[in-house]
Amino acid sequence: MSDTIELAAPGRPLGVYTRPRDNTGWRGWITTVDHKKIGILYGVTAMVFFGIGGLEALLIRLQLATPDGTVLGADTYNRVFTMHGVTMVFLVIMPLAAAFANYLLPLQIGARDVAFPRLNALSYWVFLAGGLFLNVSWLLGDSPDGGWFAYAPNTGVVFSPGHGMDYYILGLQITGIASLISAMNLIVTVLNMRTPGMTLFKMPVMTWMILVVQFLLLFAVPVITVALFLLLFDRSFGANFFNPEMGGDPLLWQHLFWIFGHPEVYILILPSFGIISEVIPTFSRKPLFGYPFMVFSGIAIGFMGWGVWAHHMFVSGIGPISVAAFSMSTMFIAVPTGVKILNWLATMWGGKIKFTVAMLFAFGVVSMFTIGGLSGVTHSVAPADTQQTDTYYIVAHFHYVIFGGSLLGIFAGFYFWWPKVFGHLLSEKLGKWNFWLMIIGFNMTFGPMHILGLQGMSRRIDSYSPGFGFEFWNMFASIGSFIIALGVLMFVINVIASARRARHEPPVGPDPWDARSLEWFTPNPTPVHNFDELIQVDSLDEFWHRKYAEDENGRVVRVATAEEVCQDGSATDTHLPSPSYWPFVMAAGFPFVGFGLIYTLWICIPGALLILMAIYGWIFEPTDDPDGPHGHHADDPSDHDEAEASSEAAGETAEEAPVG
Amino acid sequence: MADVAAVDNGHGTGTGLSNNKLLMWVFLGSECLLFGGLISTYLIYRSRYADGPAPGDIFDIPFTSVSSFILLMSSLTMVLSLSALQRGDIRNNRVWLLATALLGSLFIGGQVYEFTTFLREGLGYTTSPFSSAFFTLTGFHGIHVSLGIVMLVSLLIASFRGTLTKERSETVEIVGLYWHFVDVVWIFIFTVIYLVPSPTS
Amino acid sequence: MIPRILRTGRPAALIGGALLALAGCAADAPLDTLKPQGPISRSIDSLSDPIFLIAGIVFVLVFGASGLIWWKFRDDHSTDEFPPQVHGNFRLEIAWTIGPAILMAVIGVFTLFSHFELNGEDRTDIVINVDGTATSWDPEIVVIGQQWWWEFRYYFDGLDGVDLSDPRHLPPADIVTANQMVIPVGSEIGLSVTSRDVIHSFWIPALNGKRDAVPRRVSPWKIEADVPGFYFGQCTEFCGLSHARMQMQAVAMNPVDFQAWVDEQMQPAAEPADAAAQRGLAVFEGQCTRCHVVNGINGAIDDQPSKGADLVANAAPNLTHLMSRTTFAGGIFDLYEPDGSLNRTQLEAWLRNAPAEKPAYAEGRRGMPAMGLSEGQIDDVVAYLQTLGAKPDMEIIAATEVHP
Repeated sequence: MSDTIELAAPGRPLGVYTRPRDNTGWRGWITTVDHKKIGILYGVTAMVFFGIGGLEALLIRLQLATPDGTVLGADTYNRVFTMHGVTMVFLVIMPLAAAFANYLLPLQIGARDVAFPRLNALSYWVFLAGGLFLNVSWLLGDSPDGGWFAYAPNTGVVFSPGHGMDYYILGLQITGIASLISAMNLIVTVLNMRTPGMTLFKMPVMTWMILVVQFLLLFAVPVITVALFLLLFDRSFGANFFNPEMGGDPLLWQHLFWIFGHPEVYILILPSFGIISEVIPTFSRKPLFGYPFMVFSGIAIGFMGWGVWAHHMFVSGIGPISVAAFSMSTMFIAVPTGVKILNWLATMWGGKIKFTVAMLFAFGVVSMFTIGGLSGVTHSVAPADTQQTDTYYIVAHFHYVIFGGSLLGIFAGFYFWWPKVFGHLLSEKLGKWNFWLMIIGFNMTFGPMHILGLQGMSRRIDSYSPGFGFEFWNMFASIGSFIIALGVLMFVINVIASARRARHEPPVGPDPWDARSLEWFTPNPTPVHNFDELIQVDSLDEFWHRKYAEDENGRVVRVATAEEVCQDGSATDTHLPSPSYWPFVMAAGFPFVGFGLIYTLWICIPGALLILMAIYGWIFEPTDDPDGPHGHHADDPSDHDEAEASSEAAGETAEEAPVG
Repeated sequence: MADVAAVDNGHGTGTGLSNNKLLMWVFLGSECLLFGGLISTYLIYRSRYADGPAPGDIFDIPFTSVSSFILLMSSLTMVLSLSALQRGDIRNNRVWLLATALLGSLFIGGQVYEFTTFLREGLGYTTSPFSSAFFTLTGFHGIHVSLGIVMLVSLLIASFRGTLTKERSETVEIVGLYWHFVDVVWIFIFTVIYLVPSPTS
Repeated sequence: MIPRILRTGRPAALIGGALLALAGCAADAPLDTLKPQGPISRSIDSLSDPIFLIAGIVFVLVFGASGLIWWKFRDDHSTDEFPPQVHGNFRLEIAWTIGPAILMAVIGVFTLFSHFELNGEDRTDIVINVDGTATSWDPEIVVIGQQWWWEFRYYFDGLDGVDLSDPRHLPPADIVTANQMVIPVGSEIGLSVTSRDVIHSFWIPALNGKRDAVPRRVSPWKIEADVPGFYFGQCTEFCGLSHARMQMQAVAMNPVDFQAWVDEQMQPAAEPADAAAQRGLAVFEGQCTRCHVVNGINGAIDDQPSKGADLVANAAPNLTHLMSRTTFAGGIFDLYEPDGSLNRTQLEAWLRNAPAEKPAYAEGRRGMPAMGLSEGQIDDVVAYLQTLGAKPDMEIIAATEVHP
């Protein structure tokens, strides 16, 4: 069904269009405000960036495989390692977590969508704009080269005179906007839109972890926003924030960056902690051990994470008292993290474990994160850290927690929720190849880096000389990195092969894993309207308790089959938020503003116009299309009439009138 | 579709606040950190005035107190405009909205005057870390006030078109939240920058 | 002029040399953090080792539990029954919250003790002969990083009253040297670490942890070596293009050798006698003195600040005693071949086109540019440079090979 665009109509001012109606084809994707489609967009985009970041990693490993490597020159190497870090943190892990959060969070709380569907779409398109903006710098020959941490004054205009760091600043400002908007949206969604009966303490741990992450984003992103603005003003306008010659303090950058940066690492890990908190109980066939403690330790990590930032600055000269304080606070944040590991182990203990690929990845998280966490504890000992910091020992630590923790958790999530999103399972056989290649390659690559670091190999060096004892393990690590690449390739093959096979097979039925939480009420794949009717929640793991009860001996007995409990997705009376062009249009303006700030202010003008036009169109577009889709049959005109269209939301900023 | 208020999906919102209002509160939470970062930067740099004027040399506390008072009064008029609309008094709603916007503009005018005076007296944006921090902090605040004025004018336009009715008073309330926040931030800034004794050269 | 060190023939030099050879034995891992060679690094090591052990034990426990889980609780499909649906165990949760917290507290106490000791100062004055006068020197060295080399300045009257607030315009020092920091063995040496441009980090792993060199900040640190020897270092804060090629070495000498070194370093350069060297001096004065200082040519012992006016950092290595060092170009090239002859090939390559040997931003006034010298000029300059300072002992040369 095509949409009609009317430039102006009686009673409708210029520039106010009807809502588009396409839910199919490329227009369907561009105008979607459906949290599920947005989640898929995040996931696919992030995986493309994962490929780019992975290529950057392989280039690094090729360069470092041998001493005095000549694969990359020093300048190129500095750009590659900078972009590898920026890409993996901001364009891969964060949006992959956003993919899961977007798709699953409304389902896990029994809602029909997020609180502000158009803002949700805006977050995605702005993220894409930022990611493209950052990477276009490669094509223009001036990519950032100051490290992902961008320490001043090296990144100031004197020492980084090109445009590279401007791309870094503006690219991260743009993606920061995306994260911030998304955080606000999800917080309102969780606090306001839980299905009846779902108190906070009946939410799945995954929902809790995502909620904590959104609060961390809400408060951390403004701090890096400030830091990036200050650096931008230094570089573009001659301000003196980080210019030591005029009295500026380079350590101010570090403080601001790490006040963001440390909560950021919890932003990176908590979603995966949430994912495995769903996967492990499902495949252990027992509930999560210590639910309240899992929730509280997540909240504790969220709070305590604000008090440890200067452990990234132990040798920067902040003075022994500050170092002592942060050393102690860092030690204590190990406690709630350790509690989580123990609770997952206790969940598995005494269970009947089914080692599906999702479970393998979850198991991988528990073990690999333990290693990363333990090396983290050794860093917290400030005197020891004076030897460890800025060496490959640190590189080992954070790859164990980010790759071994965050990424493996995300892969667990892929295998677990693939049927819910796409309606078919990923192949378990190919998945096992995926897992084992990845985990073996991962340990081969990053395990030896502990040794390299303790043997004195400095970070961020484009080459090393022979005679320092670094040759063997670097070559070993480089081989490992290619094994990781093979593992990732297996995943891609799995995705394609499983999709192909699914065309000839019946769709997977409901609840393939015998799971526990609300998203499994819906058929697979999830219908566009999510739930046929609101679910009244009476307990944690509500879905489980509809299927099973405990008899007088405490043994689990089935009371209903999944088919009986699950909805069939046939409802046609749910009113869905109408699609909209404006998020896409608004996001398109940001890169222009960015280019304008870098090259010439004239380019800002079309960007600003796009943004302003989008704001205008957004505010004034009808909140609904009365002939729009209901239920999941997009081309099934309903004879419903909801008189929403009458209220023009004049004077409101980006308001989304909930349709219900 | 009536009161957007605290209804979603046919049942009440978890917090009792409407989604829109909760969104504004959450957004203001993030703004606290934004201004916190800028204020902290100022605090660190207030005594680093290089060869330029020191804060104690150049601030005109009486003048800034007057403009602060004006901004404070604008919060009062904002409250009055909301309560007028909640009573159904469209006319006074418009009067007080206009008053708020005017007072806000007067404040901005005062800022502009202050900045141009400082420029003339040798305190430019790039003069010293102190000057960069000062202008950045007060500049960001001024931008926030200006965006608030844009929102107030938009509300006025909506009112004159007849779409800002008593039923939609929550919109005014939400803009009011933003406006009060901007005012409270100014109280912090004014105290930290102007009232706390500053270094002199 | 026969270099003084070679003339002494003292037994101490031989013993020192032998010990040097032994100490330099970590040639397979010269930056190893796990083989401390001084009391400070040893105290760090004695704290880290038990903690690594504890971490290892926790690792074994967690992995053991994981292995056990894998083996014992795998679903063998023997029954369809669900396992006991345990929801939690309050006492266990408290125990494994408090337990690790106590463990961390214990580690914390030991950490604090070690940390405050590490950041404390316990220096004793050293008596050395400066220009014939016995001086009591509170041993502190000013360490300055800049893209991409390290400078070391010695003020034998102590640092009180020495204004270090502007590293690009430092007060004249008694000794200004580069790349290799010579210290007396067995003494705690205070370091005042700063930078002239971006943030660097000073690190000699065998002797202590690292300390960042932050522009316009002076960070106190320290270093001490047990035995005479040669200790490798590496800049460990990303500082741009040649961060990987910013190395330094600490050379610890026994008191006699140290005194000899001091005496030698405090001599200005003499006029060269040899014709080629004289031609080289002319080229040097024309080109190189825009950045480099040679005491007696364009600087004196009680010198003006470093020239280096063509560079952002306003400093280039002081070359007065270049030949007494065994590395150059930021500590990355050997100045001498293993047989003790000058590493002419590398030195000429450096003079011919420095950016090709070590990436730099010459047009950005950071790093040594290609000087555009003719081959004849290069030969002459090398001849001149060979007059600057005395070649060190063969043992030192052997121990300090950076490119084996």
